[in-house]
Amino acid sequence: MRAVKIIERVLYAVPIMLGVAIIVFVFIRMTPGDPVDIMMGQGGAISAGEIEQLRSEFHLDEPITTQLWYFLRDAFQGDLGYSYTQKRPVTELVSSRLPATIELAGGALFLALVIAFPIGIISAVRQNSLLDRLSMGVSFVGISMPGFWLGIVLILIFSVSLGWLPVQGRIGSDISLQHITGFYLIDSVLTRNWPALVSALRHLALPSFTLAASVAAIVARVLRSSMLEVLRSDFVQLARAKGAPEGRVIVKHALRNALIPTVTVVGLQVGVLLGGNMIVETVFGWPGLGRLVVDAIFNRDFPLIQGAVMVYALTFVLANLAVDVLYTYLNPKITL
Amino acid sequence: MKRNRQWISVTSVIVLLLAIAALAACSAEPETIFEQVEVEVTRLVEGETVTLIETRVVEVAQEILVTPTAEPGRSALIVALASAPTSLDPADHRDRNSETVLRNMFDGLVTRDTGSGVHLELAEEMNWVDDTTLEVKIREGVTFHNGEALTAEDVVFTFERIINENAIEYPEPHTSPRKGLIAPLESVEMVDDYTVRMHFTGVWPPAMQLLVHQQIVPKDYLEEVGTEGFIAHPIGTGPFKFVEGQLDDQIVMERFDDYWGGAPDLEPADLACVERVIFRVIPEASTRAAALLAGEVDIIQNVPSELVDTLDQTPGVDVKTAASTEPIWLQLNVSDPLFEDVNVRHALNYAVDKDLLIEAIYGGRAVPLPGPLSPFNNYVNEDLEPYPYDPDMALALLEEAGWTDSDGNGILDRNGQPFAFTIDTIELWRPQAEALASMFREIGIDAGVRFWEYSVVQPQLLACERQAFLDDWGDSAFDPVGHFEAKWHSVVAGEPYGRGNFSCYSNERVDELIRAGEVEADEATRQEIYDEAQQLVYDDAPAVFLVLPEVAEGSSERVQNWEPASDGRINLHDVCLAP
Repeated sequence: MRAVKIIERVLYAVPIMLGVAIIVFVFIRMTPGDPVDIMMGQGGAISAGEIEQLRSEFHLDEPITTQLWYFLRDAFQGDLGYSYTQKRPVTELVSSRLPATIELAGGALFLALVIAFPIGIISAVRQNSLLDRLSMGVSFVGISMPGFWLGIVLILIFSVSLGWLPVQGRIGSDISLQHITGFYLIDSVLTRNWPALVSALRHLALPSFTLAASVAAIVARVLRSSMLEVLRSDFVQLARAKGAPEGRVIVKHALRNALIPTVTVVGLQVGVLLGGNMIVETVFGWPGLGRLVVDAIFNRDFPLIQGAVMVYALTFVLANLAVDVLYTYLNPKITL
Repeated sequence: MKRNRQWISVTSVIVLLLAIAALAACSAEPETIFEQVEVEVTRLVEGETVTLIETRVVEVAQEILVTPTAEPGRSALIVALASAPTSLDPADHRDRNSETVLRNMFDGLVTRDTGSGVHLELAEEMNWVDDTTLEVKIREGVTFHNGEALTAEDVVFTFERIINENAIEYPEPHTSPRKGLIAPLESVEMVDDYTVRMHFTGVWPPAMQLLVHQQIVPKDYLEEVGTEGFIAHPIGTGPFKFVEGQLDDQIVMERFDDYWGGAPDLEPADLACVERVIFRVIPEASTRAAALLAGEVDIIQNVPSELVDTLDQTPGVDVKTAASTEPIWLQLNVSDPLFEDVNVRHALNYAVDKDLLIEAIYGGRAVPLPGPLSPFNNYVNEDLEPYPYDPDMALALLEEAGWTDSDGNGILDRNGQPFAFTIDTIELWRPQAEALASMFREIGIDAGVRFWEYSVVQPQLLACERQAFLDDWGDSAFDPVGHFEAKWHSVVAGEPYGRGNFSCYSNERVDELIRAGEVEADEATRQEIYDEAQQLVYDDAPAVFLVLPEVAEGSSERVQNWEPASDGRINLHDVCLAP
């Protein structure tokens, strides 16, 4: 039953994606700026007619409805066009960058949860203790700190001054790694290339921590407040009255029920992790999708922006679906 | 109960500590921290060079600077680029950084040194048979990285692939975006195995400077693997051969051991010195600087002016500069009622203290513009002097134009209207724009600053909807054609003329001269043409002629025999890496 519901929800995603595709298509073309002008740059001469020729090559000389028709027709065949600037298929460009972005977002999510859960739980259990006040203070700072600033400061401390961790990139320049999945951590494990694994982990540390900081702070605060609420409820009192050990009360009764709002927030933060990627990927020279999109936006590389935004939209849709599915496990009373 | 709580907190702390320790254990020892020092500097004060002892402002970043030490065992030379190249096909991009990378794997018929000099490379001889025919003798004994010999066929193929319509088949048939750089080339004809003739539609004086930007590709290989296969594994005749890489991550190359040696004029012509080079993309300037300081990279591109001093004072790091090819102007919209009067435009030129701008913003690493061209352009008018800083003259000229401070509020006015305008610019030029606005305010002009994204403001500029726009315009050819055609020719719809004319400037005589200069073969006559054109633009002052900044690139001390080039390329052929 649950599987059928999940398939149904996945099918709902199709009209959503179509709507996103059309809105993005129209909006990026309404943004001022001409991709051909930008492409021609400044230097050198350009020949007369060259601009018109490029415009017709990109179908920019046709009405937007015709352009949209071309796009949808090709998109349904899995062809998202090719990048104006890089002259390569968008699907190829996006899929080659996606593993880097997922690896970074995954690392950040992992770190965020590892940091947020103990802090959130302990702060709730020891409400108003010094530890609670301190961790809530730190999490406030974590929320307020801009990613690019934190990134640069971490680089200065851990890379330049202490020399512990690398400044930028995904893997050391002296490491050779056979590319299988594009995920360096997985590839290095698959090929049993331990130096590559260590190098990839070390390169992942600073950018994923930078990205994780604000997410961890938000998740910790939400977890704390929902834990507090649950800890005050009658069934927790009952569990305690029954003589259940405090650890069991916290983990089994309180935490599980406090997880529902927390999972919602974590689901939403997946979007933040992808969005925040653009800045963190730029600061740490991380060759992911975020950087590709930033360049594409400045170059008005319409097909590439379109393709990347579709990936972001799909991620949001899937993350929401995953959250809904998780609800049903956390609270069997909830159905899809 | 209590024990459980402790258990949770202790475990989480231990997990975190273990993770940090595991990562830290794999790293190098911490580096020595250097302290701030007083420095002896040479400054240009009122035209005289003086030596001063300056105490630099202590910066947080500087306190933790370290001597860059390369990762142990690293023999590769690593260059950090500021932006990603867009293609590994020399015919399929319109981007300086692509050329920067490609030039290390490919050679052209000619090449350029770090200044403006053009030298024969794959061409052994080049002779103009007549005004429109260039005969090129190709060097014998040159091989591509796959061992195939370079012949005239490859040269013909290369140029036909650039000029023929839809000659590049991947991902969809399209015409090379480099065609415009060699627009007058009509056809290329093979005379014998090592001779080709290039036929141009007319006389084309900047031919040599612009041929530098086209590199030769192997016909047989490209036909065999197609463009898709070629960009996956490009092959040229250059000093380095492609190993692996992705455009916006890193591109790895190895020394080509059968290299023919390179342009004979540029000593030492031989095999490349380093075995392996890697181009990495690090878009953020402070990260590039940090990577250089941490010894992760050896050369960094585009050091921003605010980081130049910091890096320069760090032991083990050199910052090298070269005159750039990107002059900066404040373009005044001559069709705006405020700037119609030439006296006003002259006044603004006199109101700007270029020396102060150069000292304060560029740390002395820029030169004032003598007029509409860079002072290093091959056809600069030597008689023109930069407008001097003379606020009294500026006020006198403004008074002549009717602008006086009649109500004593410190702002000039005319017919009850205050002299107020906005300097439009992009974020990159924030310090310059703010400095200019404050200089204008000093003489009673209410100038503000507004920031745009270039692609948004550009159409408004061409439609004469803005008042003043501050920006640079790059052209690496050292020939006046590029700048004059784009910036100072009247706008001609659908043609390249005036495509960067953000002053809405139009002078028939200047247009005539620009068209004449483009097809004048005789150098002396051409110089006369451009001298007159520069004088006219200088007198009309459709812009405040500001400065030509230097390009600043940083390198670690290990890097030897490397100098930045004016055109921004990073040629690693002769560069060595000390152990």
